[in-house]
Amino acid sequence: MKSCDEIRKCLGAWVDGELGRDEADAVRSHVEACPACSEERRQLDKLNVSIKSVLAPQRPIAFEPFWRGVERRINEKNSWRDEWMDRLRGAFGRPNLAWSIPAVIGLALVLYSLRFWKEPTPRNNFAAVESIDAYGRNVALLRENETRTTVIWLYQNQEGDDETSGETSEQSPTF
Amino acid sequence: MKLPGKLLSKALLSSFLALLVAVYLGAAETASQAVKIKIDTILASNQSGEFDSRLKPLEKQLKVLKYKSYRLLKEESQNVASQGSGSFQIPGGRTLIVSPQDFRDQQIALKVRLQGSEKPLLDTTLKLQNKGNFILGGPPHEGGVLVLAIWATLQ
Amino acid sequence: MELSDWELVQKCQLGEMGAFQELVSRYHQKVYIVVLGLLRNRDDAMEVAQETFFRAYRKIKSFEGGSSFYTWLYRIAVNIAIDTQRRQKRNLLDYRDNMDEVFEEQQEVAKDPFSDVHEKELREKLLSAINDLTPEHKAVIVLRTLEGLSYKDIGDILGCSEGTVMSRLHYARKKLQEKLRAYL
Repeated sequence: MKSCDEIRKCLGAWVDGELGRDEADAVRSHVEACPACSEERRQLDKLNVSIKSVLAPQRPIAFEPFWRGVERRINEKNSWRDEWMDRLRGAFGRPNLAWSIPAVIGLALVLYSLRFWKEPTPRNNFAAVESIDAYGRNVALLRENETRTTVIWLYQNQEGDDETSGETSEQSPTF
Repeated sequence: MKLPGKLLSKALLSSFLALLVAVYLGAAETASQAVKIKIDTILASNQSGEFDSRLKPLEKQLKVLKYKSYRLLKEESQNVASQGSGSFQIPGGRTLIVSPQDFRDQQIALKVRLQGSEKPLLDTTLKLQNKGNFILGGPPHEGGVLVLAIWATLQ
Repeated sequence: MELSDWELVQKCQLGEMGAFQELVSRYHQKVYIVVLGLLRNRDDAMEVAQETFFRAYRKIKSFEGGSSFYTWLYRIAVNIAIDTQRRQKRNLLDYRDNMDEVFEEQQEVAKDPFSDVHEKELREKLLSAINDLTPEHKAVIVLRTLEGLSYKDIGDILGCSEGTVMSRLHYARKKLQEKLRAYL
Protein backbone atom coordinates (compact mmCIF):
# COMPACT_ATOMS: atom_id res chain seq x y z
CA MET A 1 0.00 0.00 0.00
CA LYS A 2 1.59 3.27 -1.11
CA SER A 3 1.92 6.29 1.14
CA CYS A 4 0.67 9.74 0.18
CA ASP A 5 4.25 10.89 -0.48
CA GLU A 6 4.83 8.02 -2.90
CA ILE A 7 1.49 8.64 -4.62
CA ARG A 8 2.22 12.36 -5.04
CA LYS A 9 5.55 11.59 -6.72
CA CYS A 10 3.72 9.89 -9.56
CA LEU A 11 0.53 11.93 -9.48
CA GLY A 12 1.67 14.03 -12.44
CA ALA A 13 2.56 10.96 -14.50
CA TRP A 14 -0.84 9.44 -13.65
CA VAL A 15 -2.70 12.61 -14.74
CA ASP A 16 -0.57 12.59 -17.92
CA GLY A 17 -1.61 8.99 -18.62
CA GLU A 18 1.95 7.73 -18.48
CA LEU A 19 1.68 5.02 -15.83
CA GLY A 20 1.24 1.32 -16.56
CA ARG A 21 -2.23 -0.11 -15.92
CA ASP A 22 -1.53 -1.65 -12.51
CA GLU A 23 0.24 1.40 -11.17
CA ALA A 24 -2.46 3.70 -12.58
CA ASP A 25 -5.17 1.65 -10.86
CA ALA A 26 -3.33 1.82 -7.55
CA VAL A 27 -2.95 5.60 -7.80
CA ARG A 28 -6.58 6.10 -8.81
CA SER A 29 -7.85 4.01 -5.88
CA HIS A 30 -5.72 5.98 -3.45
CA VAL A 31 -6.71 9.40 -4.83
CA GLU A 32 -10.40 8.49 -4.70
CA ALA A 33 -10.08 7.50 -1.05
CA CYS A 34 -7.70 10.21 0.17
CA PRO A 35 -9.03 13.81 0.46
CA ALA A 36 -5.53 15.31 0.69
CA CYS A 37 -4.28 13.59 -2.47
CA SER A 38 -7.56 14.36 -4.18
CA GLU A 39 -6.99 18.03 -3.42
CA GLU A 40 -3.43 17.72 -4.67
CA ARG A 41 -4.77 16.33 -7.95
CA ARG A 42 -7.20 19.24 -8.22
CA GLN A 43 -4.36 21.72 -7.69
CA LEU A 44 -2.34 19.98 -10.37
CA ASP A 45 -5.22 20.22 -12.85
CA LYS A 46 -5.59 23.93 -12.10
CA LEU A 47 -1.89 24.45 -12.57
CA ASN A 48 -1.91 22.70 -15.95
CA VAL A 49 -4.86 24.78 -17.13
CA SER A 50 -3.20 28.00 -15.95
CA ILE A 51 0.12 27.16 -17.62
CA LYS A 52 -1.63 26.42 -20.89
CA SER A 53 -3.62 29.65 -20.83
CA VAL A 54 -0.57 31.74 -19.96
CA LEU A 55 1.89 30.22 -22.42
CA ALA A 56 -0.36 29.67 -25.43
CA PRO A 57 -0.14 32.54 -27.94
CA GLN A 58 -3.27 34.66 -28.39
CA ARG A 59 -3.44 34.28 -32.15
CA PRO A 60 -1.93 32.02 -34.79
CA ILE A 61 0.90 33.31 -36.96
CA ALA A 62 0.38 33.76 -40.67
CA PHE A 63 2.13 31.24 -42.88
CA GLU A 64 3.16 33.42 -45.81
CA PRO A 65 5.40 35.89 -43.96
CA PHE A 66 6.82 33.02 -41.92
CA TRP A 67 7.68 31.08 -45.06
CA ARG A 68 9.24 34.17 -46.65
CA GLY A 69 11.50 34.46 -43.61
CA VAL A 70 12.60 30.84 -43.94
CA GLU A 71 13.12 31.19 -47.69
CA ARG A 72 15.18 34.34 -47.21
CA ARG A 73 17.48 32.52 -44.80
CA ILE A 74 17.91 29.64 -47.22
CA ASN A 75 18.74 31.97 -50.12
CA GLU A 76 20.95 34.33 -48.09
CA LYS A 77 22.98 31.62 -46.44
CA ASN A 78 23.47 29.82 -49.76
CA SER A 79 24.88 32.87 -51.55
CA TRP A 80 26.93 34.08 -48.55
CA ARG A 81 28.48 30.69 -48.07
CA ASP A 82 29.32 30.16 -51.74
CA GLU A 83 30.95 33.58 -51.99
CA TRP A 84 33.13 33.03 -48.94
CA MET A 85 34.12 29.52 -49.98
CA ASP A 86 35.37 30.92 -53.31
CA ARG A 87 37.30 33.66 -51.54
CA LEU A 88 38.91 31.26 -49.09
CA ARG A 89 39.99 28.99 -51.90
CA GLY A 90 41.63 31.95 -53.63
CA ALA A 91 43.32 33.27 -50.49
CA PHE A 92 44.87 29.98 -49.48
CA GLY A 93 46.22 29.49 -52.95
CA ARG A 94 48.41 32.62 -52.86
CA PRO A 95 52.10 32.42 -52.01
CA ASN A 96 52.14 35.71 -50.09
CA LEU A 97 49.88 34.44 -47.30
CA ALA A 98 52.61 35.15 -44.71
CA TRP A 99 52.37 38.93 -45.28
CA SER A 100 48.64 38.95 -44.74
CA ILE A 101 48.96 37.90 -41.06
CA PRO A 102 50.20 41.22 -39.67
CA ALA A 103 47.78 43.02 -41.99
CA VAL A 104 44.88 41.00 -40.56
CA ILE A 105 45.98 41.71 -36.97
CA GLY A 106 46.21 45.44 -37.71
CA LEU A 107 42.84 45.48 -39.44
CA ALA A 108 41.19 43.63 -36.55
CA LEU A 109 42.51 46.21 -34.08
CA VAL A 110 41.30 49.12 -36.21
CA LEU A 111 37.86 47.56 -36.53
CA TYR A 112 37.74 46.99 -32.78
CA SER A 113 38.52 50.63 -32.09
CA LEU A 114 35.82 51.73 -34.55
CA ARG A 115 33.18 50.28 -32.18
CA PHE A 116 33.59 53.34 -29.99
CA TRP A 117 33.05 55.88 -32.72
CA LYS A 118 29.66 57.56 -32.85
CA GLU A 119 27.36 56.29 -35.57
CA PRO A 120 25.58 58.93 -37.63
CA THR A 121 22.18 57.21 -37.24
CA PRO A 122 21.31 54.22 -35.12
CA ARG A 123 21.09 50.99 -37.11
CA ASN A 124 18.68 49.51 -34.65
CA ASN A 125 16.16 51.94 -33.19
CA PHE A 126 14.56 49.40 -30.89
CA ALA A 127 14.66 50.40 -27.24
CA ALA A 128 15.44 47.63 -24.76
CA VAL A 129 12.80 48.12 -22.09
CA GLU A 130 14.04 46.62 -18.84
CA SER A 131 11.20 47.40 -16.48
CA ILE A 132 7.82 49.07 -16.36
CA ASP A 133 5.70 50.03 -13.38
CA ALA A 134 2.34 51.56 -14.22
CA TYR A 135 1.18 51.81 -10.60
CA GLY A 136 -1.71 49.42 -11.10
CA ARG A 137 -2.74 50.72 -14.51
CA ASN A 138 -2.59 48.50 -17.52
CA VAL A 139 0.27 49.12 -19.88
CA ALA A 140 1.29 47.51 -23.15
CA LEU A 141 4.63 47.25 -24.92
CA LEU A 142 4.78 47.19 -28.68
CA ARG A 143 7.69 46.58 -31.02
CA GLU A 144 6.88 47.32 -34.62
CA ASN A 145 9.39 45.64 -36.90
CA GLU A 146 9.06 47.60 -40.09
CA THR A 147 9.77 51.01 -38.58
CA ARG A 148 11.72 49.55 -35.63
CA THR A 149 9.56 51.53 -33.22
CA THR A 150 9.15 50.77 -29.54
CA VAL A 151 5.88 51.98 -28.05
CA ILE A 152 4.91 52.06 -24.40
CA TRP A 153 1.14 52.48 -24.21
CA LEU A 154 -0.56 53.46 -20.98
CA TYR A 155 -4.18 52.34 -20.99
CA GLN A 156 -6.92 54.47 -19.64
CA ASN A 157 -8.56 52.85 -16.63
CA GLN A 158 -12.05 51.37 -16.81
CA GLU A 159 -13.85 54.68 -16.46
CA GLY A 160 -11.85 56.04 -19.37
CA ASP A 161 -10.31 58.85 -17.35
CA ASP A 162 -6.91 59.70 -16.05
CA GLU A 163 -7.71 60.13 -12.37
CA THR A 164 -4.94 62.62 -11.81
CA SER A 165 -5.89 65.02 -14.55
CA GLY A 166 -9.67 64.71 -14.57
CA GLU A 167 -9.69 64.38 -18.34
CA THR A 168 -11.65 61.84 -20.29
CA SER A 169 -11.18 60.64 -23.78
CA GLU A 170 -14.52 60.13 -25.46
CA GLN A 171 -13.21 58.18 -28.36
CA SER A 172 -11.83 54.69 -28.34
CA PRO A 173 -9.02 53.89 -30.72
CA THR A 174 -10.01 52.64 -34.13
CA PHE A 175 -8.06 50.69 -36.68
CA MET B 1 58.31 31.95 -42.74
CA LYS B 2 60.22 34.79 -41.10
CA LEU B 3 59.29 38.46 -41.18
CA PRO B 4 62.08 41.02 -41.48
CA GLY B 5 62.96 42.46 -38.06
CA LYS B 6 62.15 46.11 -38.94
CA LEU B 7 58.77 45.26 -40.39
CA LEU B 8 57.87 43.12 -37.39
CA SER B 9 58.75 45.86 -34.93
CA LYS B 10 56.77 48.43 -36.97
CA ALA B 11 53.77 46.10 -37.10
CA LEU B 12 53.94 45.54 -33.35
CA LEU B 13 54.32 49.25 -32.58
CA SER B 14 51.38 50.29 -34.76
CA SER B 15 49.24 47.51 -33.26
CA PHE B 16 50.12 48.69 -29.76
CA LEU B 17 49.24 52.31 -30.64
CA ALA B 18 45.91 51.24 -32.13
CA LEU B 19 45.18 49.29 -28.96
CA LEU B 20 45.96 52.34 -26.79
CA VAL B 21 43.55 54.47 -28.85
CA ALA B 22 40.87 51.81 -28.55
CA VAL B 23 41.29 51.60 -24.77
CA TYR B 24 41.16 55.42 -24.45
CA LEU B 25 37.98 55.66 -26.51
CA GLY B 26 36.46 52.84 -24.54
CA ALA B 27 37.21 54.58 -21.24
CA ALA B 28 35.79 57.84 -22.55
CA GLU B 29 32.56 56.05 -23.41
CA THR B 30 31.57 55.47 -19.82
CA ALA B 31 32.75 58.76 -18.36
CA SER B 32 29.91 61.03 -17.27
CA GLN B 33 28.44 62.83 -20.25
CA ALA B 34 25.45 65.02 -20.93
CA VAL B 35 22.54 63.68 -22.93
CA LYS B 36 20.28 65.84 -25.05
CA ILE B 37 16.70 64.78 -24.44
CA LYS B 38 14.14 65.93 -26.99
CA ILE B 39 10.40 65.48 -26.49
CA ASP B 40 7.76 66.00 -29.16
CA THR B 41 4.34 66.24 -27.52
CA ILE B 42 1.71 65.16 -30.04
CA LEU B 43 -2.07 64.98 -29.91
CA ALA B 44 -3.41 61.91 -31.70
CA SER B 45 -7.11 61.58 -32.35
CA ASN B 46 -9.73 60.31 -34.75
CA GLN B 47 -11.60 63.60 -34.92
CA SER B 48 -10.16 64.67 -38.24
CA GLY B 49 -7.81 63.33 -40.86
CA GLU B 50 -5.12 65.99 -40.61
CA PHE B 51 -1.46 65.20 -40.32
CA ASP B 52 0.71 68.03 -38.99
CA SER B 53 3.42 68.59 -41.61
CA ARG B 54 5.95 69.34 -38.86
CA LEU B 55 5.69 65.69 -37.87
CA LYS B 56 6.79 64.47 -41.29
CA PRO B 57 10.03 62.87 -39.99
CA LEU B 58 7.91 60.85 -37.55
CA GLU B 59 5.19 59.93 -40.02
CA LYS B 60 6.03 56.25 -40.44
CA GLN B 61 6.38 55.70 -36.73
CA LEU B 62 3.16 57.53 -35.89
CA LYS B 63 1.21 55.56 -38.49
CA VAL B 64 1.93 52.50 -36.34
CA LEU B 65 -0.49 53.96 -33.79
CA LYS B 66 -3.35 53.99 -36.33
CA TYR B 67 -4.99 57.26 -35.37
CA LYS B 68 -6.44 59.49 -38.08
CA SER B 69 -4.89 62.79 -37.09
CA TYR B 70 -1.70 63.92 -35.42
CA ARG B 71 -0.92 67.46 -34.25
CA LEU B 72 2.34 68.67 -32.77
CA LEU B 73 1.54 70.49 -29.53
CA LYS B 74 5.04 71.18 -28.30
CA GLU B 75 8.67 70.47 -29.00
CA GLU B 76 11.26 70.78 -26.22
CA SER B 77 14.92 69.85 -25.72
CA GLN B 78 17.13 69.84 -22.67
CA ASN B 79 20.72 68.83 -22.03
CA VAL B 80 20.63 66.56 -19.00
CA ALA B 81 23.77 65.48 -17.17
CA SER B 82 24.34 61.78 -16.60
CA GLN B 83 22.75 60.78 -13.28
CA GLY B 84 20.86 64.11 -13.33
CA SER B 85 17.25 64.57 -14.38
CA GLY B 86 15.30 66.78 -16.76
CA SER B 87 11.63 67.74 -16.29
CA PHE B 88 9.30 68.39 -19.19
CA GLN B 89 5.80 69.83 -18.73
CA ILE B 90 3.17 67.73 -20.46
CA PRO B 91 -0.41 68.93 -21.08
CA GLY B 92 -3.01 67.95 -18.51
CA GLY B 93 -0.93 68.84 -15.46
CA ARG B 94 1.55 66.03 -16.15
CA THR B 95 5.33 66.02 -16.04
CA LEU B 96 7.85 63.80 -17.77
CA ILE B 97 11.09 63.28 -15.85
CA VAL B 98 14.00 61.75 -17.74
CA SER B 99 17.22 60.66 -16.02
CA PRO B 100 20.13 59.39 -18.11
CA GLN B 101 22.01 56.71 -16.20
CA ASP B 102 24.98 55.71 -18.28
CA PHE B 103 26.22 55.14 -21.79
CA ARG B 104 27.66 51.82 -22.88
CA ASP B 105 27.94 49.97 -26.20
CA GLN B 106 26.27 52.87 -28.05
CA GLN B 107 23.22 52.62 -25.78
CA ILE B 108 21.94 55.26 -23.39
CA ALA B 109 20.31 53.90 -20.25
CA LEU B 110 17.37 56.06 -19.18
CA LYS B 111 14.96 56.18 -16.29
CA VAL B 112 11.71 57.79 -17.31
CA ARG B 113 8.79 58.78 -15.10
CA LEU B 114 5.47 60.13 -16.26
CA GLN B 115 4.08 62.02 -13.30
CA GLY B 116 0.42 63.02 -12.91
CA SER B 117 -0.59 66.10 -10.99
CA GLU B 118 -0.60 64.14 -7.73
CA LYS B 119 0.76 60.64 -8.32
CA PRO B 120 3.20 58.91 -10.64
CA LEU B 121 1.54 57.28 -13.65
CA LEU B 122 4.41 55.25 -15.06
CA ASP B 123 8.04 54.44 -14.37
CA THR B 124 10.20 52.71 -16.90
CA THR B 125 13.89 51.92 -17.34
CA LEU B 126 15.15 51.27 -20.82
CA LYS B 127 18.17 51.42 -23.07
CA LEU B 128 17.98 53.51 -26.18
CA GLN B 129 20.38 53.65 -29.09
CA ASN B 130 22.31 56.94 -29.28
CA LYS B 131 20.16 59.31 -31.41
CA GLY B 132 17.32 56.82 -31.21
CA ASN B 133 13.79 57.32 -29.97
CA PHE B 134 10.81 55.58 -28.48
CA ILE B 135 7.15 56.48 -28.09
CA LEU B 136 5.16 56.79 -24.88
CA GLY B 137 1.45 57.26 -25.35
CA GLY B 138 -2.04 56.83 -24.01
CA PRO B 139 -2.89 59.66 -21.56
CA PRO B 140 -6.16 61.25 -22.66
CA HIS B 141 -6.25 64.87 -23.74
CA GLU B 142 -8.87 67.02 -25.49
CA GLY B 143 -10.80 64.11 -26.98
CA GLY B 144 -7.69 62.33 -28.16
CA VAL B 145 -4.56 60.89 -26.60
CA LEU B 146 -1.14 62.31 -25.93
CA VAL B 147 1.80 60.72 -27.71
CA LEU B 148 5.30 61.60 -26.59
CA ALA B 149 8.18 60.93 -28.99
CA ILE B 150 11.34 60.85 -26.89
CA TRP B 151 14.88 61.07 -28.31
CA ALA B 152 18.21 60.77 -26.54
CA THR B 153 21.49 61.97 -28.07
CA LEU B 154 24.87 61.85 -26.39
CA GLN B 155 26.57 65.25 -26.28
CA MET C 1 -4.29 12.07 -51.05
CA GLU C 2 -2.18 13.83 -48.45
CA LEU C 3 1.43 12.71 -48.33
CA SER C 4 2.90 11.53 -45.02
CA ASP C 5 5.71 13.45 -43.37
CA TRP C 6 8.19 10.78 -44.35
CA GLU C 7 7.11 10.92 -48.00
CA LEU C 8 7.54 14.68 -47.97
CA VAL C 9 10.98 14.34 -46.37
CA GLN C 10 12.03 11.94 -49.11
CA LYS C 11 10.93 14.45 -51.73
CA CYS C 12 12.89 17.18 -49.91
CA GLN C 13 15.94 14.98 -49.94
CA LEU C 14 15.60 14.87 -53.72
CA GLY C 15 15.56 18.66 -53.81
CA GLU C 16 11.85 19.41 -54.05
CA MET C 17 11.34 22.78 -52.37
CA GLY C 18 7.56 22.43 -52.62
CA ALA C 19 7.68 19.41 -50.33
CA PHE C 20 9.71 21.35 -47.77
CA GLN C 21 7.25 24.23 -47.96
CA GLU C 22 4.45 21.77 -47.20
CA LEU C 23 6.33 20.53 -44.13
CA VAL C 24 6.82 24.11 -42.96
CA SER C 25 3.13 24.75 -43.48
CA ARG C 26 2.24 21.74 -41.33
CA TYR C 27 4.53 22.50 -38.43
CA HIS C 28 5.31 26.21 -38.32
CA GLN C 29 2.52 26.91 -35.84
CA LYS C 30 3.52 24.10 -33.48
CA VAL C 31 7.20 25.02 -33.56
CA TYR C 32 6.37 28.67 -32.92
CA ILE C 33 4.13 27.78 -29.97
CA VAL C 34 6.83 25.65 -28.34
CA VAL C 35 9.55 28.23 -28.90
CA LEU C 36 7.34 31.08 -27.68
CA GLY C 37 6.60 29.05 -24.57
CA LEU C 38 10.33 28.82 -23.92
CA LEU C 39 11.44 32.31 -24.85
CA ARG C 40 8.38 34.47 -24.02
CA ASN C 41 9.38 37.04 -26.60
CA ARG C 42 7.65 37.07 -29.99
CA ASP C 43 10.51 38.48 -32.01
CA ASP C 44 12.92 35.92 -30.60
CA ALA C 45 10.37 33.14 -31.04
CA MET C 46 9.86 34.07 -34.68
CA GLU C 47 13.62 34.19 -35.29
CA VAL C 48 14.20 30.86 -33.60
CA ALA C 49 11.22 29.20 -35.32
CA GLN C 50 12.44 30.31 -38.75
CA GLU C 51 16.01 29.29 -37.88
CA THR C 52 14.67 25.87 -36.89
CA PHE C 53 13.25 25.26 -40.34
CA PHE C 54 16.35 26.66 -42.00
CA ARG C 55 18.54 24.20 -40.07
CA ALA C 56 16.09 21.38 -40.79
CA TYR C 57 16.39 22.23 -44.49
CA ARG C 58 20.17 22.06 -44.33
CA LYS C 59 20.15 18.77 -42.41
CA ILE C 60 17.22 17.12 -44.17
CA LYS C 61 19.46 14.73 -46.10
CA SER C 62 20.79 13.32 -42.85
CA PHE C 63 17.30 12.55 -41.49
CA GLU C 64 16.82 8.81 -41.79
CA GLY C 65 13.37 8.41 -40.29
CA GLY C 66 14.56 6.81 -37.05
CA SER C 67 12.30 9.15 -35.09
CA SER C 68 9.19 10.92 -36.29
CA PHE C 69 9.80 14.07 -38.29
CA TYR C 70 8.13 16.30 -35.72
CA THR C 71 10.25 15.03 -32.80
CA TRP C 72 13.35 15.59 -34.94
CA LEU C 73 12.10 19.09 -35.73
CA TYR C 74 11.20 19.87 -32.12
CA ARG C 75 14.65 18.68 -31.08
CA ILE C 76 16.23 21.29 -33.34
CA ALA C 77 13.81 23.98 -32.11
CA VAL C 78 14.30 23.23 -28.41
CA ASN C 79 18.09 23.12 -28.74
CA ILE C 80 18.19 26.52 -30.45
CA ALA C 81 15.74 27.96 -27.94
CA ILE C 82 17.71 26.64 -24.95
CA ASP C 83 20.94 28.03 -26.43
CA THR C 84 19.21 31.35 -26.98
CA GLN C 85 17.97 31.44 -23.41
CA ARG C 86 21.42 30.70 -22.08
CA ARG C 87 22.91 33.51 -24.15
CA GLN C 88 20.33 36.07 -23.27
CA LYS C 89 18.92 37.50 -20.10
CA ARG C 90 15.36 38.40 -20.81
CA ASN C 91 12.87 39.91 -18.50
CA LEU C 92 9.24 38.99 -18.70
CA LEU C 93 8.06 41.97 -20.70
CA ASP C 94 5.87 40.58 -23.43
CA TYR C 95 5.88 42.68 -26.57
CA ARG C 96 2.88 43.09 -28.84
CA ASP C 97 3.34 43.11 -32.62
CA ASN C 98 0.96 45.87 -33.59
CA MET C 99 -1.38 48.43 -32.13
CA ASP C 100 -4.44 46.32 -32.98
CA GLU C 101 -3.41 43.92 -30.23
CA VAL C 102 -2.77 46.81 -27.85
CA PHE C 103 -6.20 48.33 -28.47
CA GLU C 104 -8.01 44.99 -28.38
CA GLU C 105 -6.48 44.27 -25.02
CA GLN C 106 -7.73 47.66 -23.82
CA GLN C 107 -11.29 46.60 -24.72
CA GLU C 108 -10.90 43.28 -22.88
CA VAL C 109 -9.40 44.89 -19.83
CA ALA C 110 -12.29 47.34 -19.57
CA LYS C 111 -14.92 44.58 -19.28
CA ASP C 112 -14.48 43.08 -15.79
CA PRO C 113 -11.89 44.74 -13.61
CA PHE C 114 -12.05 42.40 -10.62
CA SER C 115 -11.46 39.10 -12.35
CA ASP C 116 -8.93 40.77 -14.58
CA VAL C 117 -6.89 42.03 -11.62
CA HIS C 118 -6.68 38.56 -10.08
CA GLU C 119 -6.01 36.91 -13.42
CA LYS C 120 -3.41 39.51 -14.25
CA GLU C 121 -1.60 38.83 -10.96
CA LEU C 122 -1.79 35.07 -11.49
CA ARG C 123 -0.50 35.46 -15.02
CA GLU C 124 2.41 37.61 -13.90
CA LYS C 125 3.31 35.32 -11.00
CA LEU C 126 3.07 32.24 -13.19
CA LEU C 127 5.18 33.75 -15.95
CA SER C 128 7.76 34.79 -13.38
CA ALA C 129 7.78 31.34 -11.80
CA ILE C 130 8.10 29.62 -15.21
CA ASN C 131 10.91 31.98 -16.14
CA ASP C 132 12.77 31.06 -12.96
CA LEU C 133 12.92 27.41 -14.04
CA THR C 134 16.06 26.17 -15.72
CA PRO C 135 15.80 25.86 -19.54
CA GLU C 136 15.57 22.05 -19.24
CA HIS C 137 12.70 22.21 -16.74
CA LYS C 138 10.92 24.86 -18.76
CA ALA C 139 11.25 22.68 -21.85
CA VAL C 140 9.47 19.68 -20.27
CA ILE C 141 6.67 21.91 -19.00
CA VAL C 142 6.16 23.47 -22.44
CA LEU C 143 6.35 20.22 -24.39
CA ARG C 144 3.97 18.39 -22.06
CA THR C 145 1.47 21.12 -21.19
CA LEU C 146 1.29 23.02 -24.49
CA GLU C 147 1.89 20.21 -26.93
CA GLY C 148 0.66 17.21 -24.95
CA LEU C 149 3.63 15.13 -26.06
CA SER C 150 4.26 11.74 -24.46
CA TYR C 151 7.15 11.28 -22.06
CA LYS C 152 8.81 9.09 -24.70
CA ASP C 153 8.61 11.82 -27.34
CA ILE C 154 9.80 14.45 -24.88
CA GLY C 155 12.72 12.19 -23.96
CA ASP C 156 13.57 11.75 -27.67
CA ILE C 157 13.48 15.50 -28.18
CA LEU C 158 15.58 16.35 -25.14
CA GLY C 159 17.89 13.37 -25.39
CA CYS C 160 17.00 11.90 -21.99
CA SER C 161 15.10 8.95 -20.56
CA GLU C 162 11.37 8.86 -19.79
CA GLY C 163 12.27 8.60 -16.11
CA THR C 164 14.23 11.85 -16.35
CA VAL C 165 11.28 13.52 -18.08
CA MET C 166 8.98 12.35 -15.30
CA SER C 167 11.23 13.59 -12.52
CA ARG C 168 11.85 16.96 -14.26
CA LEU C 169 8.12 17.46 -14.69
CA HIS C 170 7.47 16.54 -11.08
CA TYR C 171 10.14 18.98 -9.89
CA ALA C 172 9.01 21.80 -12.19
CA ARG C 173 5.34 21.44 -11.22
CA LYS C 174 6.24 21.32 -7.54
CA LYS C 175 8.25 24.52 -7.88
CA LEU C 176 5.42 26.28 -9.70
CA GLN C 177 2.84 25.13 -7.15
CA GLU C 178 4.96 26.39 -4.26
CA LYS C 179 5.16 29.84 -5.83
CA LEU C 180 1.49 29.98 -6.77
CA ARG C 181 -0.19 28.41 -3.73
CA ALA C 182 -2.03 31.61 -2.90
CA TYR C 183 -3.40 32.05 -6.42
CA LEU C 184 -4.49 28.53 -7.43
